[in-house]
Amino acid sequence: MRLLLVEDDLLLAEGLASQLAKAGFSVDTAHTAREAELLGKQEDYRVCVLDLGLPDGSGLDVLRNWRANQADFPVLILTARSDWQDKVNGLKAGADDYLAKPFQSEELIARLNAIVRRSEGRVRSLITAGRFELDEHRQSLKMGDGIEHSLTGTEFRLLRCLMSQPGHVFSKEQLIEQLYSLNESPSDNVIEAYIGRLRKLVGTDTISTRRGQGYLFNDTV
Amino acid sequence: MLAILLPAGIGLMAIAWVVHGFLLDRMSRDFIEHRLMEEVTFLQLQLQEVDGVVGALQTGDYFQEVFHHAFAVHSPTTTVISPETWAPLLRPLIQSGKQGSIRVQNKTADNAPADILAYRRSFEIQGTPIVVIVSEDMDALKLSQAELHAWTAVVSVLLVGLLAGVIWLGISFSMRPAAALQVALKQLQTGEISRIDVKTPDEFRPLVQQLNQLLDSLDQRLERSREALANLSHSVKTPIAAVRQVLEDTNRPLDDSLRQQMAVRLGDLDKQLEAEMRRSRFAGPQVGKSAYPVKQARDLLWMLGRLYPEKTFELSTSLAEESRWPVEEHDLNEILGNLLDNAGKWSTRFIELSLEQTPQMISITVSDDGSGVENTEMIRLGQRGLRLDEQTPGHGLGLAIVRDVVERYSGLVRFMPAHSGGLQVRVEIFG
Repeated sequence: MRLLLVEDDLLLAEGLASQLAKAGFSVDTAHTAREAELLGKQEDYRVCVLDLGLPDGSGLDVLRNWRANQADFPVLILTARSDWQDKVNGLKAGADDYLAKPFQSEELIARLNAIVRRSEGRVRSLITAGRFELDEHRQSLKMGDGIEHSLTGTEFRLLRCLMSQPGHVFSKEQLIEQLYSLNESPSDNVIEAYIGRLRKLVGTDTISTRRGQGYLFNDTV
Repeated sequence: MLAILLPAGIGLMAIAWVVHGFLLDRMSRDFIEHRLMEEVTFLQLQLQEVDGVVGALQTGDYFQEVFHHAFAVHSPTTTVISPETWAPLLRPLIQSGKQGSIRVQNKTADNAPADILAYRRSFEIQGTPIVVIVSEDMDALKLSQAELHAWTAVVSVLLVGLLAGVIWLGISFSMRPAAALQVALKQLQTGEISRIDVKTPDEFRPLVQQLNQLLDSLDQRLERSREALANLSHSVKTPIAAVRQVLEDTNRPLDDSLRQQMAVRLGDLDKQLEAEMRRSRFAGPQVGKSAYPVKQARDLLWMLGRLYPEKTFELSTSLAEESRWPVEEHDLNEILGNLLDNAGKWSTRFIELSLEQTPQMISITVSDDGSGVENTEMIRLGQRGLRLDEQTPGHGLGLAIVRDVVERYSGLVRFMPAHSGGLQVRVEIFG
């Protein structure tokens, strides 16, 4: 399993490379952002360990460039900063997991195996309806103007259901099936609340109400 | 303000003075015209009494003495002009056919004034045409008029000065507290005083209070960061010394137990560093800091949904996207992130975050559908270092951090069983 290790600290990189090799990965090491970006675009890696603080640039930019170039291998970010906002930014840039330094090799390897497993059979799948693009893997909605919105689980499932068949009327019962809740029997109001929130994102006219029947996604708006 | 008002006042005063001059001029002229006309009428009556014989009129300096005016009476036979020196001025007027008041200016004649106002009337007495002119020296009048005008100017200037003085006095009186504040600030800057303690009017009191609070929090922060650094250096230097000692000792073989000891030391070091860093990162309540709870919550929910793909993280709130909470952004992230991460580790499938706001408080509730916590353990939750689940590393620290942050805001963290049997954590911060 080919692995790209991007780490500028030579001592750490060396130690990690040998640990990862022992765990069955065939490791390529990059020490700079430029080198990493090139290798990531040219080679076909199964997984990547990416340090954020590189001498010639930010690991986040490298990651964004990979993603923009359809380099879709799963990426685990390594960083000394363990801020929640840093984690959010890392995942928004396209990472799959996050590990704060210092860490134990076993945990790193376990997490790498987990993101590899999760990414198996994953294809870049987008649902497009009208001017909206729903990224199934990243669970995010891209608007016509290029702005990306992150969706919570239920919002995503509801929108996926509606966008999969634009123009088709889905009843509230059908939509409730998309809902998980702590509450055993979620009420119609819950669906209305979610539809309301989705409408704030996509515009009121995009999701129309058919009185007594349900909702439909209007991709012509 | 003063710079505009004062010149405007002076300007208005000047305009008033000019208008006063003009009115004075017109008024005195009207008055004199009226008097001249009356004298002409009187002369006419006198002439009628003597049947138009000009010579029969008491002449001489009578008129001039009585009226202080020059006059001319003209009949086809006689012409009387008194005083004689005015003759060059009055003679042409007799010839002119004009009636009523006439102004003669810039005529030069010896011993005669240059500017006169005359009133001319011609009439007939028993068939004899007679012309009567009475005139007044305007120069003399102008002189006294100018004197009056000058006095008005003096009074005006005095008034303006008085006005400016009163304004200046009023302002300096009302600005006296501000001046005191200015002095206090200067003293503060040079370190003569550490807090502002001046008697200020009510308008300035909140300002002074805010300033003092700011100074307090600055002092506290300095103290805290010094203390944190001292703690840190104390707990970090020793492990470093120990590890270095081992590495320097070339005679000592690096066996497994030694490696382990070194790893433990380094692990402690990391823990200390992490704890101190977290503590110093909390901002606590601060003036001018607020967070967008809905936006931050959505980002965190999305992120945790990515990290735990088999679990669902949901938001339930009636807050608008753009509503703000008086909590520092980083602190709110720390509360939400740790609560959600903790719930994510325990839950089987579903985690719900609920954000609410009332005028009295803001509340954050996180519920999961995991196996929950025994009632006996519930009270121990959130204590530093307690791990109820040893298999999930790092667990337990998160709740302790939440408790630390919430304490800074004098809030409450409460633990209770969720409806679904899992754990519900509720954070309340009072506004």
